[in-house]
Amino acid sequence: MIPFRIERIYIDEKAEKDGLTQKILQGLSHLPMERVRGKKELIKKFLSSPDPLTVGKRHLLITHDYGRRLKPCPGTTNHLCCGYYVINPMTNCPMDCSYCILQEYLNNPLLTLYTNLDDLLQEIDLFLSNQEEDFLRLGTGELSDSLALESIFPISQILIPFFAEREKGILELKTKSSTVDSLLHLHHRERTVVSWSLNPSRIIEEEERGTASLKERLEAARKCQERGYPLGFHFDPIIFDHGWEREYKETISALFKMIDPKRVVWISLGGFRYPPKLKGIVEGRFPNTQIFLGELFPGKDFKFRYLKEIRVEIYQKMVGWIQAVDPGLFVYLCMESQEVWEKVFGWAPKDNRDLNRMFERRLKAFLR
Amino acid sequence: MKSAQRISLEEIDFSDETFSVNFRPELERLRTSIGKIGLIQPVLLRRKSRGYQIVCGFRRLWVLREFGWPDVSAILLGEETEDLQLFEISIEENLTTRGFNPVEKAIAIDKFIHRFKIEPSEVIRTYLPLLSLEPNEKILRTYLSLAQMEEEVKEYVLKEEVSRTNIRKLSTFSKEDRKVLIPFLSSLKLGESRLREILNLLDEISHRDRIRVGEIVRHPDIQGILSRGELTPSQKTERVKKVLLELRYPRLIGLERTFEKRRKDLNLPSYVSLFHSPHFEEREWRIEFRFATLEQYRQALSFLSQLAEEKKFEELIKEDSETEILGSDSFSN
Repeated sequence: MIPFRIERIYIDEKAEKDGLTQKILQGLSHLPMERVRGKKELIKKFLSSPDPLTVGKRHLLITHDYGRRLKPCPGTTNHLCCGYYVINPMTNCPMDCSYCILQEYLNNPLLTLYTNLDDLLQEIDLFLSNQEEDFLRLGTGELSDSLALESIFPISQILIPFFAEREKGILELKTKSSTVDSLLHLHHRERTVVSWSLNPSRIIEEEERGTASLKERLEAARKCQERGYPLGFHFDPIIFDHGWEREYKETISALFKMIDPKRVVWISLGGFRYPPKLKGIVEGRFPNTQIFLGELFPGKDFKFRYLKEIRVEIYQKMVGWIQAVDPGLFVYLCMESQEVWEKVFGWAPKDNRDLNRMFERRLKAFLR
Repeated sequence: MKSAQRISLEEIDFSDETFSVNFRPELERLRTSIGKIGLIQPVLLRRKSRGYQIVCGFRRLWVLREFGWPDVSAILLGEETEDLQLFEISIEENLTTRGFNPVEKAIAIDKFIHRFKIEPSEVIRTYLPLLSLEPNEKILRTYLSLAQMEEEVKEYVLKEEVSRTNIRKLSTFSKEDRKVLIPFLSSLKLGESRLREILNLLDEISHRDRIRVGEIVRHPDIQGILSRGELTPSQKTERVKKVLLELRYPRLIGLERTFEKRRKDLNLPSYVSLFHSPHFEEREWRIEFRFATLEQYRQALSFLSQLAEEKKFEELIKEDSETEILGSDSFSN
């Protein structure tokens, strides 16, 4: 059962003979398919449609990507970034969150799956062998939801055993879905962190279309916990509005009613932020969205964020609620300044490398 | 071309505005012209079962009626002529003689779609260029929204030459909100960008606080400003905007006030200015000083040097300067 609607599949002739392509098509044989030569013209056609972002989410493109698919997380200038790496076996997402940066970031609106998987696995291996760090964190949840397309594109079922055989790499699957059943039987050796983006139920209902409910996400996390996966949670983006305090407190409470804090490897916090162009796109697609009604202002990287005083208040309170459950829980801030770290925690990483080392220590302690 | 005939004004149905797109027409020049040299061009009428329907020449006929003329020179069309064809003739004729204001363009577009049932795609392709508008859906929707707004809004749009962006913004408010908005906006002096700012502020406050625009406009501080007769519209505008900013960004304005109070307490000389970073985001301050002579330069340096010893100055920058970067080793996890 596919929890989203695909109307048509486009198969780039380069990809049609791939084993993975055949596997995808077996599950989607009821859908109309069209063979295309290259993706340029197709993307151009979709971009000229009246609502390419919405239409693109209903059309699947199976193709190859010969560029680099493993890259440092783009992060943002003048802020601390944690040394994360992103892997992109697919781009775009069937879910439709109002605040999603991909609306502004991607220049290809189709759900796109890259089936030249061997190239990607080689790229990962080469990368892992060339790095000095003890642990490298890599995730597939940057340009898509890691698990939303798993029922048709079982990439995580390939990556989890792959990472289980590697010493240095820690794979993070970041999701807002609840489709974890296919992961439960896999050999993971705790080298895969399954993590969920969390928000209060009201925000999920109003702003995160096509995603699993909070209850479903936590139930899926509990299943993964039972199978020994390390878990991660990302309160990101935190939306600051009337009632935020009660709602986020309730969400944290709901989380730890279901999940053992000792099995949580990390929790991130990130206030809602956006590049200037995103606002117009979102207001056009989601006229009733409430996300821009906070006190948001541009910073040196031109991204809009809540007033610093507000962000500090949010993080201080969230950290307090989380660490009241277990003071040992590892909480970090995503794309924040040293100053904000210091105000929230009483200390700050010296630089990005220092923050990365902090993650290494955390992983060593967690996996001991 | 058919020849013109004299038709009695009494036989013309002035209430039938099927082919009219007039909105607040400016008749003075036409009155002067007709008064001086009479009617040069015949009007275009269509026979109805009883009397005549006006196709082209509404404004001329209104003036002639005012002047008490008994009849008019008119070219007559048969009942069989298609409505759409006549509307196109009317549009073309008006375009060659006077052109349309934005509200009239809106009425024309609205009639093409809702009265003459032309497909929106066809209106975009054929009629928007005819009206000198860019052929796209956004423009179509903008003008349709204008056609559907209240008379007061249309008048305001014409009078203040409101931009399309602001027309779109006005159309997002409810009818009730616009009823309050228009008199409020009319009491201010708003250029294009000021109007956009005020509309955005009102919209965002109303959505965030889930209140009607009327409640915001009735805010005692705003009413207080509007009732002060000695203020010019520009002064009122600036003060109203300040109140709206306070309502929209209470935390930021609170920080500004605190900073301003502390800055005042420093009694800085007029040649020294102290600034915080934009939106208090960065941990930095900026001081500027002006001088014309070496003596003034020395005086400024001396003052700045003394300022470093001032407790009030230290307190002002203290909160944002005490961050100690300890590094992750201090982190217990």
